[in-house]
Amino acid sequence: MGSAQVRQASKGRLPRWLTSEHPLPWLFPVTSILVVFGLYPVLYSLWLSFFKRNPATRTEKFLPAWNWNKLLGDERVWDAVQVTFTYAAIALTIQLVLGMLIALLLDSDRRGFGLFRALMTLPLVVPPAVTGMMFLLMYDSSFGVISNALYSVNLLSPDHPILGSGSTALWGVIVADVWQWTPFMVLIMLAGLRALPKEPFEAASIDGATAFQSFFFLTLPMMSKIIALAVLVRGIDLFRIFDYVKVMTDSGPGTATETLTAYAGTVYFKSANFSYASTVALATLILVLVVSTVFIKVFKIRF
Amino acid sequence: MRSSTLKSVLRYLVSLFVVAVFVFPIAWFALTSIKPISAVFNKDRVVVFDFKPTFDNYRVTVLGGEKNSLMTGQSTSMGTSGKGAYDGRGSIMSSLIIAISSTFLATFIALLAGYALSRLKFWGSQGYLNWVLSQRFLPPIAIIIPLVFIFHDLGLRDTHLGIIIAHTLINIPIALLLLKSFFDDVPIEIDQAAMIDGATRFQCFYLVVLPMIRGGIAATAVLCFIFSWTEFILSLFLTNTIRTIPVKITTFVTSTGSEWGYISALGTAAIIPGFIFILLVQNHLVRGLTMGAIKD
Repeated sequence: MGSAQVRQASKGRLPRWLTSEHPLPWLFPVTSILVVFGLYPVLYSLWLSFFKRNPATRTEKFLPAWNWNKLLGDERVWDAVQVTFTYAAIALTIQLVLGMLIALLLDSDRRGFGLFRALMTLPLVVPPAVTGMMFLLMYDSSFGVISNALYSVNLLSPDHPILGSGSTALWGVIVADVWQWTPFMVLIMLAGLRALPKEPFEAASIDGATAFQSFFFLTLPMMSKIIALAVLVRGIDLFRIFDYVKVMTDSGPGTATETLTAYAGTVYFKSANFSYASTVALATLILVLVVSTVFIKVFKIRF
Repeated sequence: MRSSTLKSVLRYLVSLFVVAVFVFPIAWFALTSIKPISAVFNKDRVVVFDFKPTFDNYRVTVLGGEKNSLMTGQSTSMGTSGKGAYDGRGSIMSSLIIAISSTFLATFIALLAGYALSRLKFWGSQGYLNWVLSQRFLPPIAIIIPLVFIFHDLGLRDTHLGIIIAHTLINIPIALLLLKSFFDDVPIEIDQAAMIDGATRFQCFYLVVLPMIRGGIAATAVLCFIFSWTEFILSLFLTNTIRTIPVKITTFVTSTGSEWGYISALGTAAIIPGFIFILLVQNHLVRGLTMGAIKD
């Protein structure tokens, strides 16, 4: 009875685009939030980037090229781009290789391995800011457990704090990232390994292929799509890196760990130059969009 | 035979070692939270287990108890001063309100959109999906600065509602793509049968298809909750007094020193809900983390 009433009402009064037969009512809530709080702010950012702001007098002047010229000539931006790429490349490589190795290790139906796989996922739910804290505690130059372990094997001297030295600070942050996100790679690789068909491997072993050969000539090619997807999702997050840097080093020492997002944050917080901060933030967005679009096209990834 | 037994024992031991390495930082952090302060700041004996466990750090940060001056002592009492600086109750409450509300909001509206994108074939649907996906790749920093102004004008700055909206925004792409992949699993014939029986689109969605993807909805909600619970940068920029737990914890680090006992206690407490939830959705975790691209 209720259904008959609803149907009559929808047939009688409402125009078609307001009924559930039309996509509009279904998409309206998501679209409105994405437009108002996602798209509009990006355009607003672009608009802000066209103004030369004087933080001291809090005045703005419409000079569309000013901030963009400043961006291209700003050495800190190029440093930040370099740090971002270095960070992303190193972290991604380590996570990919470690993730694959650990997935191969844990891909077993024997007793205990299910528990191992469940425990491996735990780092994923730790808030990144808390991860930063965990590693700050372990890196502490006097009572940190990692620092002291490195002192005892003479890999580090106490007057060379991990996060306080330009040569090791970025590595210190990368280790935290690797700890948190290698499990992500492990999970994806495990899903890929479990979906592989058995027959090619049986045929290969009958033909006398070694484990290495079947890994490089069968497993890797058959998992290329999944690996590409994992690299994409993780790579984009690495380009947006902010939390670890902010919590652990605050871009220091000097600007040794300053990534693009961190630099945009610094411009915003420390100099209150909103228009230039927006420009740097947009540069990050452009970089991410270009890299990810090319990647999606090249590897034909579909969601 | 013997060599294969040896191999499997070796594999087990190596696996155990690897897992232990990944669990260690959490275990160390949790251990620090129940150490008396003398055992935390002891540079002569870094690894100690023979301390007397204390729950004082939890009493202060989670239950809002008074800071015990005897425990911390004059010389080690440092960092933020003032009453309630280490009281995490407000931030736990804020984090819960924000995570639960934004999870409900994101899941609900993504269900509607996900169903339409899975079932109603219309012009531009692939383009729409790509647009939603591009939101997932958007660096938060690119929208934060204008959001500060927009929120200021709308009176959303430093409010729960503001952060709820911001977290809904970042969760929509994940929830939408994931739920669409769950809808795609349901054969379209089921919709057709229901509509031949006289159901409208909405009835078909609500009464027929929705109950079939309950597991998927739960997994989506859990992931949204975790993403909101762990989010840092938006909360940091868009609030001053309302502090979610990740932002609150960073205020325990000051130029004069860090209150490791309080940091580790509130931090450990903050990890627990995520632990419980992630163990509940192990089956859909990979699909969730890849936004439905890899089905399990």
